[in-house]
Amino acid sequence: MRDTDTITAISTPQGEGGIGIIRISGEEAINIGSQILRHPSGKKIITWPERQVRLGLAVFPDGSVIDEVIYFLFKNNRSYTGEDVLEIQGHGGLQNLRKILNSTLKAGARLAEPGEFTKRAYLNGRIDLAQAEAVIDLIRSRTDLAHKAALTQLRGDLSTVIKEQEKKLMEILVPIEAALDFPEDEIPDLKREEALKIVEGAIFKINELLANADQGMILRDSATVVLAGRPNVGKSSLLNSLLGEERAIVTPIPGTTRDFVSEVIDLNGVPVRLIDTAGIREIEDLIEKAGVERAWEIIKQADLILVVLDSALGITPEDYQMLNQIKERVPIIILNKTDLPSQISFKEIKKEFPQNKVLSVSALTGAGIKELKSFIREELIGTNISEEHPFLVTRLRHKEALEEACKYLRFTAEGITSHLSEDLIAVDLRAALEALGRISGKSVSEEVISQIFSQFCIGK
Amino acid sequence: MKKIYDVAVIGAGHAGCEAANAVSKMGFDTLLLTLNFNNIAFMPCNPSVGGPGKGNLVREVDALGGLIGRITDLAHLQMRALNTQKGPAVRAFRAQADKHLYQQCMRNYIEKQPLITIKQGKVSSIKRIKDHWCLTLNTGVCYEVSAVIIATGTFLRGKIHIGLFSYSSGPQGQHPAISLAESLEAQGIRFKRFKTGTSARVRKRSLDFSKMIEQPGDWLPHGFSYWLPWEPREPVSCWLTYTNQKTHEIIRNNLDVAPMYCGEITGTGTRYCPAIEGKVVNFPHKDKHQVFIEPEGLNTDEMYIAGLSSSLPEEIQDQFMRTVPGLENVEIVRPGYAIEYDVISPDQLLTSLQIRDWPGIFCAGQINGTSGYEEAAAQGIIAGINAGLYLRGEEPFVLKRNEAYIGVLIDDLITKENNEPYRVMTSRAEFRLSLRQENADLRLTDYGYKFKLISEADYQFFRTKRERIQEKLRFLEGNNLSPGSEEAEIIQAKTGLKIQQTTNLKQLLKRPEINCAIIREAFKNGKDELTNEDEVIENLIKYEGYLEREAKMAARLQKTEGKKIPVDFDYSQVPNLSFEAREKLMRYRPETFGQAGRISGVSPADLSALLIWMTRSRKK
Repeated sequence: MRDTDTITAISTPQGEGGIGIIRISGEEAINIGSQILRHPSGKKIITWPERQVRLGLAVFPDGSVIDEVIYFLFKNNRSYTGEDVLEIQGHGGLQNLRKILNSTLKAGARLAEPGEFTKRAYLNGRIDLAQAEAVIDLIRSRTDLAHKAALTQLRGDLSTVIKEQEKKLMEILVPIEAALDFPEDEIPDLKREEALKIVEGAIFKINELLANADQGMILRDSATVVLAGRPNVGKSSLLNSLLGEERAIVTPIPGTTRDFVSEVIDLNGVPVRLIDTAGIREIEDLIEKAGVERAWEIIKQADLILVVLDSALGITPEDYQMLNQIKERVPIIILNKTDLPSQISFKEIKKEFPQNKVLSVSALTGAGIKELKSFIREELIGTNISEEHPFLVTRLRHKEALEEACKYLRFTAEGITSHLSEDLIAVDLRAALEALGRISGKSVSEEVISQIFSQFCIGK
Repeated sequence: MKKIYDVAVIGAGHAGCEAANAVSKMGFDTLLLTLNFNNIAFMPCNPSVGGPGKGNLVREVDALGGLIGRITDLAHLQMRALNTQKGPAVRAFRAQADKHLYQQCMRNYIEKQPLITIKQGKVSSIKRIKDHWCLTLNTGVCYEVSAVIIATGTFLRGKIHIGLFSYSSGPQGQHPAISLAESLEAQGIRFKRFKTGTSARVRKRSLDFSKMIEQPGDWLPHGFSYWLPWEPREPVSCWLTYTNQKTHEIIRNNLDVAPMYCGEITGTGTRYCPAIEGKVVNFPHKDKHQVFIEPEGLNTDEMYIAGLSSSLPEEIQDQFMRTVPGLENVEIVRPGYAIEYDVISPDQLLTSLQIRDWPGIFCAGQINGTSGYEEAAAQGIIAGINAGLYLRGEEPFVLKRNEAYIGVLIDDLITKENNEPYRVMTSRAEFRLSLRQENADLRLTDYGYKFKLISEADYQFFRTKRERIQEKLRFLEGNNLSPGSEEAEIIQAKTGLKIQQTTNLKQLLKRPEINCAIIREAFKNGKDELTNEDEVIENLIKYEGYLEREAKMAARLQKTEGKKIPVDFDYSQVPNLSFEAREKLMRYRPETFGQAGRISGVSPADLSALLIWMTRSRKK
């Protein structure tokens, strides 16, 4: 896969709509356009004027007509991606748009990766990295809360918190460095107690940020919740009843579309991807087996696992086997079909699996579904989620930088208390500040030197 | 009259002498040109050598086979150990030199070099003629050389200011070099103006030392040089006194005749060695500033006043100095002054210190925008080595940031926008725990020997020392201290440390109360060699964790440092660079990705954009 391929994608949300847009970007955009578009008369299109709306027919490369469309062209120096971009507006409806998309693929375009148009825009200098990251977050933020987190980060609340800590840590580092470099100038000695307080304060603040980081990333990326269980325990109906009216986005997971159904729902601001695995059974059939292996793979990676049992049938040996196999992941046990006479006693199952939460629902009547939803939400992001202070750390890159800063700040604190020499304390402190600088963009070395001279009167 | 040489060095200051010594030792016929034969290795400012960072440079130059360390050892008046309580990375020596003795020792050394010819003369132009360079002196004499090292210090279009009085001059009233600057400029070399300054010199007989605090030297176990036998001598004291509000008031009342403040001086001054005017203006709340009185030499009554650098009119200098305790009856011999001079915009330099597109022309010292004898010497030896390698047709010698302060210095010079004379500082070195002053020979002497700057005998001495260190490390790693043993009892008696369980000696040495000498005493093993081997071993073991971290960081650096950018790379092609980054990259033309990343204004995003573009165009 190369950044020079011509890429194509359906750019409007999938679902029923009046119109849908297909976008093609790259050197071959016009070439592809001339293969898949015709004049309303059926003639080939020879001239490609820029930024003019034209009526035409979308066709397969063999000439058979798919749809009546309008199209327009942006030349590379005036398009979003910085490449030639051809936009085709067809009639809405997934089937129709997919046909046009297929035709562009046959004509030589490659299906775009998520965010690839924005990546091109960045690569071609149309937007900078920060903008690109924010755009991608906004595209991907599926719910209000996630949207808010992305916006907060755009506004720079994370930077504000970090810059504040950087400033405080500099107040320790600068006098240390000044004294090391200018031993004959009168620089006050390091006050270890005060320094320790500042370092510990910074550790506390960073830990606060980190405490919410996993949830922040869930908000950005959506959490994965897997429904597992034997066939016919009611996984599909449970899925549908969890979706309820919120059923909005249908996103197949690449490569697993045959085996699994996956939907994204909004659990009061938290985007959650629900995956219904194929029934897990030990069957010799090869195709099924491959499916089963993939199911185990998905279960392993899930943020949360719901094991669905048929309460009307009782617990089967297969159920036990599965629950034991994923014991370490502490799945939530869902007793479905409570509308029927129950064969499983709640007490009994609590005794067997004391660590697991057990909930009773009826996918059919909807009993217990509301409780299940708020339970899932709570499990994923906890209860202390405040709308006013959404999560600031939503990127792995930021999380890792903060973790590194924290590690070196702990070394710094140890160094201060165990009376390590100042040059070593400075090494740890610098490493921490450099990690923070990866978020704030500050260069520690230059900052230290300029502050030494602005704060201390140096020089014989 | 001999007119053809392999290489010419213009200027016999601290950079020029090192350069001439290095390139001549590599076997090249060297012409060393000086404006005045009496002023070889002249110290126009503070008679001090070393300190944190700077001291490391001195030892590095010495480890490579350079001169500043050994000459300082021969000519010092006192030595001090600084930062002794602050850890191995920043421990440093600083010497006060006898200026006259320093010059004499350097001249003697240079005169003994068989391949160096010293000439007094003023170069007025450098011109390329076919495959060699032609240096024309103002007397009309013409020398033909294959390489040139320009080490002209602050002489290029030098201009001295004392109050509102100013005149064209080199430092301390020497001739300025005007036509050489014009010749280079006419051929496309770009210059910028820097400013530096120095303080007044006074008569010792006019000072009252009873009102000052004595600053005696320390008795040190060794000097700067790894190669000279160390002969400690009775240290000569310096003296400390302070300015006061009265001093500041006089200065404040006369800013209208201070060339720095009334618009006379356009060059940029230094932050780390400001004039007293600058200190008073920038730090108005400070009620006193330090003033050090330092001897200029044993055989002179002249003394240096450190901390009172000034370009105020001579009379005002006289006035404010008299407010300082001990200076009430001061007799000024020479007034302080500011000097403006041309420095080459360092974006024209390559890491070899050659001027880009000027094959065989190298620059070293203050002309490159540095300040300090140590910084000059460091560049001098590198320019000398690289001129030699150029003459041999070999790749230049580039020290990396994790190898030496010299590497940090040159890399900073060519990648950073320096708006003031550059001074080395330990805080500029991201690998400062590895770049310690005691291990410079272990880092660099192999190179010095390779280039023939280190004699066979010195190298043998070094190798024996290195082997001894290895042996001692093996001894520590391979031996344990058992509880109740005779050795354990000695150690307990010495340190109070009770050994509870069998401990490996290397682990034992990590404890703060243990050092090599104590272990040696307990184990009756070997003797102290008086070369800083103990220090090397203690630092290696005590700071092992930190050193490993730096080693990892260095390995990461090597990755980007190894990625070369083609000389003719067209940055205008790369569409997604920020405006500032593109402009800077086109100007500095970094040789590697590592360098590109250190150019201020080039962000990590620019760097990844560049990297993506380059991999992309390679695939195409």
